Amino acid sequence: MICDTKLIMSKKSDISLVNFFVFNPEFGPKEGEEHKKILFFHPPATDIDTKIKNVGLCEAITKFTGTFTDRPCQSLHTQKLRQLFYEPEPNYWVVLTVTVPYSTKTKDGQTYLEYHDEDVQDSVYEAVLHQCYKMFKSLEHFFSKYLITLKLGQSDMLDVFNGIHFLPLDKNMYLRIQCFINLLEATFPHILYTAFLYQDQLVWSGLEQEDMRVLYTYLTTNLFPAYMEQEFQGLKATSSSSSLTSLHSHYGKYILGPTNLADESSAGRIPRLYINKDQAVLECHLLVYKAHSASVCLVIDGNYGLMFDLFKRLDKFLGPQLSALASDIGDYYARKPQSSSESQFKYVYFNLMNLAQKTSIHTDSRKLAVTGVSPDVIKLISDLNEDLTSCHIQDGEMIIKTWNDCWVVCKKADQREVYIILNQKNANLIEINEEVKKLCASQFTNIFFMD
Amino acid sequence: MAEEPVVSSANDDEFKQGSEPGACRNSMLIATDSYEDIAQYLKADVCQSDVPNGKSTSVVGDADDASETSTPDQTVKCQNRVDPEETSVCSEQCTQYDRQEVSSDDSAVGDNSEETATTAVTETGQNSPKETLPDISCINRQLSSLSASDGSPHSVDTDQVCQPASSDVTEPSVTAEEYLSPELDYVHSAQWKNQDKHIFILSKAGKPIYCRYGDEDRLVTLFGVMQALVSFIQSSKDSIRYIVAGDHKFVFLVREHLILVAIAQTKESSTHLLLQLTYIYNQVLSILTLSQLGRIFNMLHNYDLRRLLSGTEKTFDNLLNVMNQDPSFFLCAVRCLPLETSVRDTVAQSIAQNAKVKDLVYAILITNHQLITLVRMKHYFLHPLDLHLIFNLVSATESFKAAESWTPICLPKFDSNGYLHAYISYLDESCDACLLLLTVDKDLFFTLSDCKRKIMEKLTKHHSLKAICESIRRGNYCISEAGIPELRHFLYKSRSTAQFTSPKFEVPYTAEEDRQRLFRLYQHLHYRIHCNSRPLKIMFTVGEYETLLGWVTSGFELYAVFGPLVTKPLAINSINKLLKWIKKEEDRLFILNSPTF
Repeated sequence: MICDTKLIMSKKSDISLVNFFVFNPEFGPKEGEEHKKILFFHPPATDIDTKIKNVGLCEAITKFTGTFTDRPCQSLHTQKLRQLFYEPEPNYWVVLTVTVPYSTKTKDGQTYLEYHDEDVQDSVYEAVLHQCYKMFKSLEHFFSKYLITLKLGQSDMLDVFNGIHFLPLDKNMYLRIQCFINLLEATFPHILYTAFLYQDQLVWSGLEQEDMRVLYTYLTTNLFPAYMEQEFQGLKATSSSSSLTSLHSHYGKYILGPTNLADESSAGRIPRLYINKDQAVLECHLLVYKAHSASVCLVIDGNYGLMFDLFKRLDKFLGPQLSALASDIGDYYARKPQSSSESQFKYVYFNLMNLAQKTSIHTDSRKLAVTGVSPDVIKLISDLNEDLTSCHIQDGEMIIKTWNDCWVVCKKADQREVYIILNQKNANLIEINEEVKKLCASQFTNIFFMD
Repeated sequence: MAEEPVVSSANDDEFKQGSEPGACRNSMLIATDSYEDIAQYLKADVCQSDVPNGKSTSVVGDADDASETSTPDQTVKCQNRVDPEETSVCSEQCTQYDRQEVSSDDSAVGDNSEETATTAVTETGQNSPKETLPDISCINRQLSSLSASDGSPHSVDTDQVCQPASSDVTEPSVTAEEYLSPELDYVHSAQWKNQDKHIFILSKAGKPIYCRYGDEDRLVTLFGVMQALVSFIQSSKDSIRYIVAGDHKFVFLVREHLILVAIAQTKESSTHLLLQLTYIYNQVLSILTLSQLGRIFNMLHNYDLRRLLSGTEKTFDNLLNVMNQDPSFFLCAVRCLPLETSVRDTVAQSIAQNAKVKDLVYAILITNHQLITLVRMKHYFLHPLDLHLIFNLVSATESFKAAESWTPICLPKFDSNGYLHAYISYLDESCDACLLLLTVDKDLFFTLSDCKRKIMEKLTKHHSLKAICESIRRGNYCISEAGIPELRHFLYKSRSTAQFTSPKFEVPYTAEEDRQRLFRLYQHLHYRIHCNSRPLKIMFTVGEYETLLGWVTSGFELYAVFGPLVTKPLAINSINKLLKWIKKEEDRLFILNSPTF
């Protein structure tokens, strides 16, 4: 804040993944058998000595903290690295290590590296670790790929919320979708659960909240982006696959499942999804079918042998109906007037009860683009969120002015939190308070906030 | 902006620098590092020592006059403390180690650059070739012995074998069996484990030096583990900062010769815990000096430093207790005894005129962690960190009350390598004010004792003594004096003078528990506002029990507490009133001029 004039700072390095591993200290207790403790290690090319050393240090740290507290160890801060620990089941430790960003500074002619410890927020990366674990547990097959695609530098409070964007619809539209799903599940009794998404937003889900959370993360951060990419490439190359759709006169196709319904070998391996049911873990098949911007996720009983015939029958059922629904939702949204007050303020909203989240900071749920808000302000929101959580504040309000005159207002009431960012440099606290009151009255009418 | 900013902005432009309450009028009394500087200082690399390097510490005030001012004599001979319980310690120091001029360690002056870190690490290796890199499996075996509920004999064996880094030299008098079995009792005692804040000091070789609770000798394995963790992480050219587990934080401060560890479940931020460890580290330096520490450990890297520190445990205990309730430590500011300007000026004059002794650097009059007046040698400022050590020394040493004392003290921010000699005497039996005269000359006791006598005569003559006693007796002021009913409590720090003021704790913060809670709220607010990478100007939080407002400008820092239902306009209005009140009272609450000899 008060900068030495002789101080020159370079751009900060990014936060990157060092390793991710799972170990159990109970395995291989004898000397020379330490490698047995390691259950999973990424990157896989790491030599065994490094692996053992890493696991050994974690074991020491967790035991050391264990002599003082019964609560499990959560993080280790060193100058250059941050290590996050998670013990989901007794003695099973999941560990994520990331780099602490640094910048090169020159002061009085001397160059040195300054590490920015506070840029790596424990709450955010702990959330990333928990997500990793859930991903590891639910969708093991694609886990290594998931680790590589993690954009750690962009992790923020949305990872902490790990919420879901819901699509608000009117009653008629909502009932039509509900009706469609009921019919689908009645026709195909082996479908255990169904989820309906429009673009990246959830419309309807029959899954447990926690399972939906994992599935939603997978769909929006991995499957959809990868599919879009593929689609984009494919469009440029040929239009051979479109012959299929024209044949059936609808736009539906599997994005997880057989790529070509005329070719039985194209089904490949249908991925497994592990979900919780009555406190037991259930192994299921996961299929995702898409038409226009609407997607349907089908969770099918794992004991049921998937016959190619099923894919065909599902396609016949889903294709025309989903295509019609998708274009109707599209029309509905085209008619709806867009709110125009976007530019004045940015906000993030999260409701813990139904995991609903909304943000105008991120232009899409993959967080590829963050608009007009500095990364420090986004980190500040995580700080505030951490304060709310760690102090167990049920209802509260915080108003903050940063060193570069940006205002952040945070309100929490009844498990709902909203963070509003206002870039009004010359306003004072009372004016900001009035402004926020007005905003809440116009934008968050259905939420009760204490004043 | 209107002249009367009644419901005006919490806008920092309102108070231009210099006009805010408590801003100093002439050159600074106390040198100030901004909190950010201190935070930077805390971030310093493992191997960076605290050797002052020019401007980063404000030992010397005017940079222009730097050439003129000689650094204090570094060859000062250590004196036997008059304090009886410490006499033996110091004489031992004198006989055991021939003092020699030690030039400050060049490698340590550097900034916390990669390069320095690397070279310093290798250097340590050369200095103590016996030191071996710890084997992580050994640490784990040690830890198993800590957590094993039955003190099985095999753990004793491995423990001795695995004593990291110092396996070659074991304390001959204590066998493994002797310390291990009682230690198991300790580590398994819930009462010991559940202490809010453990503090450990150990040498780089893992030798216990101090622990806040319990007997170090019965915690040797734990000390060994902490040392091993530090050096294991150091071996990969990194350094450990802290560990989080639930509400517990395990904070490590690794300095050139010592490792300090705080294990706290107080929910304080790591920055604040690190600052506390720094105060404790400075407390060690104030007893031994950095150069002496270096000499000892270079000669015998396995030296048991407790021999030199015995008798001083109370200063550590006292420091830790005070830090847990006095905001002056995290604010890095000093509280002044409220006193009319005329009285304070008379006191300062009396001291300045009657203590005109060559080589007298500071004359300080204090009472119970509050500053009454400070007269200093030109160009020498006193850093709040150093002043707190002086406060602590006085409040922790009962024997100063009995007789005049003569004791060496090192002020690390002033000069971490040399001693100043302090003449310490309470003014009067009836008065809790203590006078300290600090000099670089070791033979001045009788001269200074004479000065004190003359100062006393003057103070009595001018009735200043009475006024001081009166103010001490009255104690801190009540918030009601400010006449702002909505305001429950506040801390106001003037940044340019590094002084702060706050009223008494009153209802609803009279119970120890509530006071502690408020203290933690202040700490947290301070931490968020001063967060290194995301500093804030204003933070207003509405909580269940109270509303807090933190407001930092270039001139001041204000932390205020209101009831939970206060409206924002009312809160801002109160703050404006408060600032006016402080401005009105500033002559009484702050020391605004800085007399010199």
